[in-house]
Amino acid sequence: MSSSPAQQLPPGWAAEWHESRASAIPIHWSVLSRLAANSNSEAPNHAETASGHTQWEPPSQLPESQPPSTAQPTAQSHHGKRRQYAAGQTQAYYGAAEVAADPGYGVAPGLQPQPAGGQLFTPGLASENQFQAQQAQVPGQPSYYSQQPPDQPLAYGADPAATAGGYGSQPGQQPQYIQPGVDALAGQFGQMGLAGGQKQFQLYTSNLLTSPPEPKELHRPPPEIRLPPNSSISPSPLANADPSYQRCTINAIPTTSSLLNKAKIPLALILTPYRSLKDGDEPVPVVTDTVIARCRRCRTYINPYVQFIDGGNRWRCCMCNMSNEVPQLFDWDTARNQPGDRWSRAELNHSVVEFVAPTEYMVRPPQPAVYVFLIDVSHAAVQSGMVATATRTILENLDRIPDEDQRTKVAIICYDTSLYFFSVPPGSDSSMLVVSDIDDVFLPKPTDLLVNLAESRPTLEALLGRINDMFQENNIIGSAMGPALQAGFKLMSPIGGKIVVLSASLPSVGAGALKNREDPKILGTAKESGLLQAASPFYKTFAIDCSRAQVSVDMFLFSQSYQDVASLACLPHYTSGQTYYYPAFNAARPEDALKFAREFGDVLAMPVMLEAVMRVRASRGLRMSSFHGNFFVRSTDLLAMPAVPQDQSYAIEIQIEEALTTPFVVFQTAVLHTTCYGERRIRVVTLALPTTTNLSEVFASADQIAITTLLANKAVERSLTHKLEDARDFVYQRLVDILMAYKTSMTSGGAGASAQLAISDNMKMLPVLVLGLLKNVGIRQSAQIPPDIRAYAQALLTSLPSQLLIPYIYPTFYSLHNMPAEAGTVGEHGIILPPALPLTSERFERHGLFLIEDGQTIFLWVGRDAVPQLITDVFDLPGYDVLRGGKITLPTLENEFSQRINAIVQKIREMRRGVYYPHLYVVKEDGEPPLRLWALSALIQDRADVLPSYQQFISSLKEKVNTT
Amino acid sequence: MGGAGWLFLFAVLMAAGLLFCMVFFIIMFSDLECDYINPIDLCNKLNQFVLPENLAHAFLAVLFLTSGQWTAFLLNLPLVLWNADKIRKKSHMYDATEIFRTLGGHKKETFFKLGFYLLSFFYYLYRCAPSPFSTLVASSTWMIVALIAESE
Ligand SMILES: [Zn+2]
Repeated sequence: MSSSPAQQLPPGWAAEWHESRASAIPIHWSVLSRLAANSNSEAPNHAETASGHTQWEPPSQLPESQPPSTAQPTAQSHHGKRRQYAAGQTQAYYGAAEVAADPGYGVAPGLQPQPAGGQLFTPGLASENQFQAQQAQVPGQPSYYSQQPPDQPLAYGADPAATAGGYGSQPGQQPQYIQPGVDALAGQFGQMGLAGGQKQFQLYTSNLLTSPPEPKELHRPPPEIRLPPNSSISPSPLANADPSYQRCTINAIPTTSSLLNKAKIPLALILTPYRSLKDGDEPVPVVTDTVIARCRRCRTYINPYVQFIDGGNRWRCCMCNMSNEVPQLFDWDTARNQPGDRWSRAELNHSVVEFVAPTEYMVRPPQPAVYVFLIDVSHAAVQSGMVATATRTILENLDRIPDEDQRTKVAIICYDTSLYFFSVPPGSDSSMLVVSDIDDVFLPKPTDLLVNLAESRPTLEALLGRINDMFQENNIIGSAMGPALQAGFKLMSPIGGKIVVLSASLPSVGAGALKNREDPKILGTAKESGLLQAASPFYKTFAIDCSRAQVSVDMFLFSQSYQDVASLACLPHYTSGQTYYYPAFNAARPEDALKFAREFGDVLAMPVMLEAVMRVRASRGLRMSSFHGNFFVRSTDLLAMPAVPQDQSYAIEIQIEEALTTPFVVFQTAVLHTTCYGERRIRVVTLALPTTTNLSEVFASADQIAITTLLANKAVERSLTHKLEDARDFVYQRLVDILMAYKTSMTSGGAGASAQLAISDNMKMLPVLVLGLLKNVGIRQSAQIPPDIRAYAQALLTSLPSQLLIPYIYPTFYSLHNMPAEAGTVGEHGIILPPALPLTSERFERHGLFLIEDGQTIFLWVGRDAVPQLITDVFDLPGYDVLRGGKITLPTLENEFSQRINAIVQKIREMRRGVYYPHLYVVKEDGEPPLRLWALSALIQDRADVLPSYQQFISSLKEKVNTT
Repeated sequence: MGGAGWLFLFAVLMAAGLLFCMVFFIIMFSDLECDYINPIDLCNKLNQFVLPENLAHAFLAVLFLTSGQWTAFLLNLPLVLWNADKIRKKSHMYDATEIFRTLGGHKKETFFKLGFYLLSFFYYLYRCAPSPFSTLVASSTWMIVALIAESE
């Protein structure tokens, strides 16, 4: 905020501090932000007024406190509608003594809380509640869809008159005006481009040489989807998928592949079908009557983009044009046993919907949720405190493990170089059985190893309380993780479920044993990519076995030294699990213990989708050509996912095989799965996109966030099949191709040299995002990055949804010492964040306090001339000299500034989806070099070693575009 | 027929075997594309044949080397080295987790080997007994192979 009046004050932080604390600056923040945003202001001129400097309160309004209200059955609420299967059948299959109807639903505190229907909108914590917001918005105003930008409160205008004007001039984002005669309700839907009719896309060109990256741009919604009028049979804004569920790299599909090739933009879907619901999100409606209308030919599920013909007796498939019969009971309300209204059926009004599947969709009765914990109890694991923290976390979260139908089964196996099984019979004491023969793993006992959680609960609790003590004196070094995996697999393979591995050392004996192959000499060379591939075939073959048996593996890794994350991450990768890595974990540091306990607890509480398969169908002429993400590709287009965690992202590349003749195309993702309370369901996500023959429309509708997400996946894939350098070259070349395509076809310069570097306005952040990707730990050019850290970063790059991935690539940077008076206070929509700064150290001030965060880590940067008052107010220490860098827990002190900073940190930790709970590091400007360099590496617009600054990057791009 | 003749007769049989092995591979790949087989079963099946195929070919090359058939040996040498290199890099086996991404490459390689074995089949046949009889055998075999390829 170079234009901030605060800086015109005499230097010295105290002065500014008191100014802001007194809230006496007579300039509204909205004004400041407009100043900052230069002429191209996005901030609506609605003045933020009553954002409550006075009403500080701890941000504890958690979703749990919301009254549950269900007007409509939702995905999370299954109360009383579990499918009925013959009790005897289920019992025979699982051998369960009783299959009780869901007691305890709504009591378990940790289960995904029931969001409060559509009526309640708790501001702030809700981050992706686009549709809620639309209700409150004026039509025509683009809504924010992703994590809330700093100026969020401004964007959600409470005062329609005030907000209406602010957006009119926004390039590429023409407001939709309500057509006269359309009623008020339809007016609200105008935003989806349905009521407003189809308009030609206006292409705005930006010159990258003169327009520096503006972090706020990243929070803009993707280019609008402008479907032809009447494409959808429903006027609902929910008829097309929200970008957080499914988005496409281009929101207007070129009709031919040659047109696509001209644009050079990769065509792909980015999807997170199992997105979590944050407070205020629209719950996924459920079709409970098992009437599932599907196309006879292409098996597409009925959706808002089909057409009813023949007097409503038949429907025409939107993918293949097949005419299908409408099922008999389609117009029948089974709940009330009376004729129903077809037009109110959820599948015709919602793009994201869940069907309760009849028995045809099952190869066996729905499996119960099964959790097998493999706990490393070797010397290193016990000493690091991992065993104690893990067992305590499991113990404390037993209530949160999904078990609403009391069928959930649990087993615990500990391992060092032997395996320790625990027999946990219901109602009596547990006993330990040691198996030292790890070459041919067998189960020491046929029963009581895998037990019903509810029945054996007291025994389990006692056991979990004892495990750490049992192995406290364990001096055995080494890990038989492979045999432990085999044992766990044997135990659960008839049912399937989740294996949760907690490991603090490199697997050293038995199947899957690995060697320390970390070699500093080959880091930074062409051979480095070998270290990122699985060292032993065990991890791939075992993953395949798991996938077949519906077993998913989650890895929690804690080693002090090399652990071969690359090999171990293979298991989660192919079994739809997730890898979590806590390098040099030491529970003696409360921050380490807290982070792990938080994340592990959330993973345990996560309502996973079991034995799932996913398939994406698309209109004729389009083909899903390659797949990226954590799953096993079981056939040309079927993805096997034994247990789908929430908020995992997948990328699917699309080929245009034949020319598209329809005005719009439809992509439909179907995930057939079993909920963890034993109901077979199909989640269907439908996305309709217009087609275009116009190259400028292709450019104008490119989604830079989705493109970056795809490139991250492609880069990681390439770094494994080729070299890291090839991966970087590939990403760079894709960007050059797009820029060149744009220059040749969209600017007057044509093929000759040009003084500018042009790109469409909606893609102007793409270069900086690509630069961020090139500088990401996962693929950065460096000889210093340990292979474990790299492999973990790659696992993140290929599984994070865009909302988490974008900050991971392009971190967020705030200045705290001179933040606007309302930042850190509770505004109308939750805690207000300060405006984000461009990622360059030019913004540092020696007397300042700054915050950099990438969704995985938070850095508090303290300038060396920070006044003692600031250090006292924030850290409760007398001055800069006594402040120590490193992981900290920020104290909450009795002063407003401390509380505001705590509020900001908390908001950063909570505002995104996913279980990640970022560490907070204090970084002193003259502190230890490794930490400082780490924090500085987040400022990706700076030059670092061989890595170019943004300016250098842009000029190299320009040169490349002009010379080739 | 001299020693060389017997050697080349043996080589003809080997080449025919290898040829059919490749045809089998190609059939399996197209089955995978049509979803008649899942990638796990496919890889399990094909991987049984990879090493025997490589060894048989290498054995043939060694036979040529030891019997001083330099031309035949040199013709086979590149493929032997290629196979050996793949084994050295541990990339000779089919990987079910990556099969759909690498299928194009596998098919190309298999077609190339098919062509190579076909040509070497005729070459061995010619060396074995350059007579009208062998020409007859060659042309009829050619027809059989063509029929197989067509039925694909
Ligand atoms: Zn169809």
